[in-house]
Amino acid sequence: MKNALKKVDPAILIVAGLLVILFLIGSLFAERFGTLQNIANVLEQSVSLGFVSLGQALVVLTGGIDLSIGALINLTSCLTSGLVNGRAEMILPVICAVLLLGLLVGALNGLLTVTLGVHPLIVTLGMMSILQGITLIYTLRPPGCMPLFFDFFAYGRILGFPLGTLIMLLLFALIILFLKRIRLGRYIYAVGGSPEAARLSGISVNRVLITAYALCGFFAALTGVYLVSRMGMGDPWMGQGYELASITPVVVGGITLAGGKGGLLGVLLGVLLISFLNNLLNFMDVSSFYQWIVQGVIIVVAVSFYTEKIRK
Amino acid sequence: MTPVRRLTLNAQRMGFFQLLPFFQKYGLFVFLLLLIVISSFLSPHFLSAKNIEDLLNQAAPLGMVVIGQTFVILTGGLDLSVASLMATVAVITTSVGRANDAMVLPIFLISIGFAVGVGLANGWLVTKRKVSPFLATLAMMIVLQGIRFAYTKGAPSGMLPPFFRILGTGTWCGIPINLLALVLLSVIFAVVLYKAGYGRRLYLTGGNARAAYQSGIAVDRVVIIAYILCSVTAALGGLFLVGYTGSVDNWVGKGYELDSIAAVIMGGASFKGGQGGLFGALGGVVVLVVIFNLVLLLGLPVQAQMIVKGLVIILASAFYLSRD
Repeated sequence: MKNALKKVDPAILIVAGLLVILFLIGSLFAERFGTLQNIANVLEQSVSLGFVSLGQALVVLTGGIDLSIGALINLTSCLTSGLVNGRAEMILPVICAVLLLGLLVGALNGLLTVTLGVHPLIVTLGMMSILQGITLIYTLRPPGCMPLFFDFFAYGRILGFPLGTLIMLLLFALIILFLKRIRLGRYIYAVGGSPEAARLSGISVNRVLITAYALCGFFAALTGVYLVSRMGMGDPWMGQGYELASITPVVVGGITLAGGKGGLLGVLLGVLLISFLNNLLNFMDVSSFYQWIVQGVIIVVAVSFYTEKIRK
Repeated sequence: MTPVRRLTLNAQRMGFFQLLPFFQKYGLFVFLLLLIVISSFLSPHFLSAKNIEDLLNQAAPLGMVVIGQTFVILTGGLDLSVASLMATVAVITTSVGRANDAMVLPIFLISIGFAVGVGLANGWLVTKRKVSPFLATLAMMIVLQGIRFAYTKGAPSGMLPPFFRILGTGTWCGIPINLLALVLLSVIFAVVLYKAGYGRRLYLTGGNARAAYQSGIAVDRVVIIAYILCSVTAALGGLFLVGYTGSVDNWVGKGYELDSIAAVIMGGASFKGGQGGLFGALGGVVVLVVIFNLVLLLGLPVQAQMIVKGLVIILASAFYLSRD
């Protein structure tokens, strides 16, 4: 038992511990916090953060960062509702096209990073600007709408369990398997740990990086589709802030920005921690303004705590 | 015949090899010159006095932020909290100012004092707590945003003292006042960077922190001072920007954090630190502003600015980085 515990990443234990403490405080201070209805609601609200964090985590594991997530969400959400425009038969082809677009934009981010040698922060920042410009030009007229039934993606329940959350958990499980069992996935850790060593041991670093960015773009596009399902139509500023919000669960979950260290289970717990914390603060009537302050403090405390651990 | 031939060959070889570093060092300025020439051909309004004044007016606040951002990037870090700080300072301006010119000096002192505190906190997190600059300043950005909204309860109140309008849009002998302020700040910071001991220590620290530490430089102090200077110039940029726009909301200076970083990197700096300088970064600012202007003069939709900006940021950075 003790050995098993030792194998677990300390970050996961800490975040899980914080979640437990949060639940204890929550059920003491707000009677509705611990109800199944509330938990299901929070799980539902955490889906979009979960999708983007999953993508961001893959990129951060390679030692990079993706700032174009928010703009890509904006573009894909507007494209989805604009192209579907109320026609039910268009939903499936449009969603496929939009997800493919996300994959391609992500791959382009990766391609530019590896071929130009420019820092991913700058590449994805430039991409953010380009995508946002395209979105705003596309939405000079308001984008169309979605058929009513399409909100099942965001609000659907299976035996009382939110459908979106189920999909999120499934995707986390898939990507965890991808990182553990598939060679390309394991290479992500190798490249993040030391690109030079990875290259010398025969790994095609470029292919690994492009894959990570492409998956990140895919998850951003998926978030765009999900948010359209939630809101009923696209919005050119819907995804604003997600590029940075997605980083919080990643670092709180124990992935270092330098890359190569940490796992997705921590990220998932980080997503839940942030979502339940915001929910609890809402119950306690703390305005969202103070919630920002709390979030900033969490980032700093978590990160400086983990670096302390590493130094020891 | 032979000597002449050798000479020309030599000249060609010399020419090429001497031109290459020239382009690498001044490529951005060559690009800027080209941009200006093309712009003046494309639009007769481009070189009009009014347009140039507008351009420089827009460039000044961003330029101020870029000065400080250059210092932080030279340490191998970056500061994402500058825009949030600008907006916070702007909110202070109206709520303390209440349209009263007597409050201008106190506003400047409060803003700079606040900025020193923010920079100190950023620097402390980065050096003493070993938080990566990206996360430390990201957290600071979010915290400042929370403080600002909590302070204004979501809607800033009060009025701007009229003097700020003079700072932001007035001219002195035909030269925009905020441009004069930028020039003054640039000169001061250029002296600090290139003539003072601090600048030398900054380059050494950014280039190789361990070597700098072993040669007796108080590395942590150098880095902390860089973050403080960055916050102070951002606060000044915020005050001048408020003067230029004339109104205050909770998002004054939005986007300046990324624009300022882009300008510094376009100007030849590297995120690794110890590379690049002040004038390249300011050149980057002018490139960004000229591009915005050109898009408008060509009658393209405003939104096209963002597309062109993104392309230029990526390509200009690629041009610089391809040398190493």
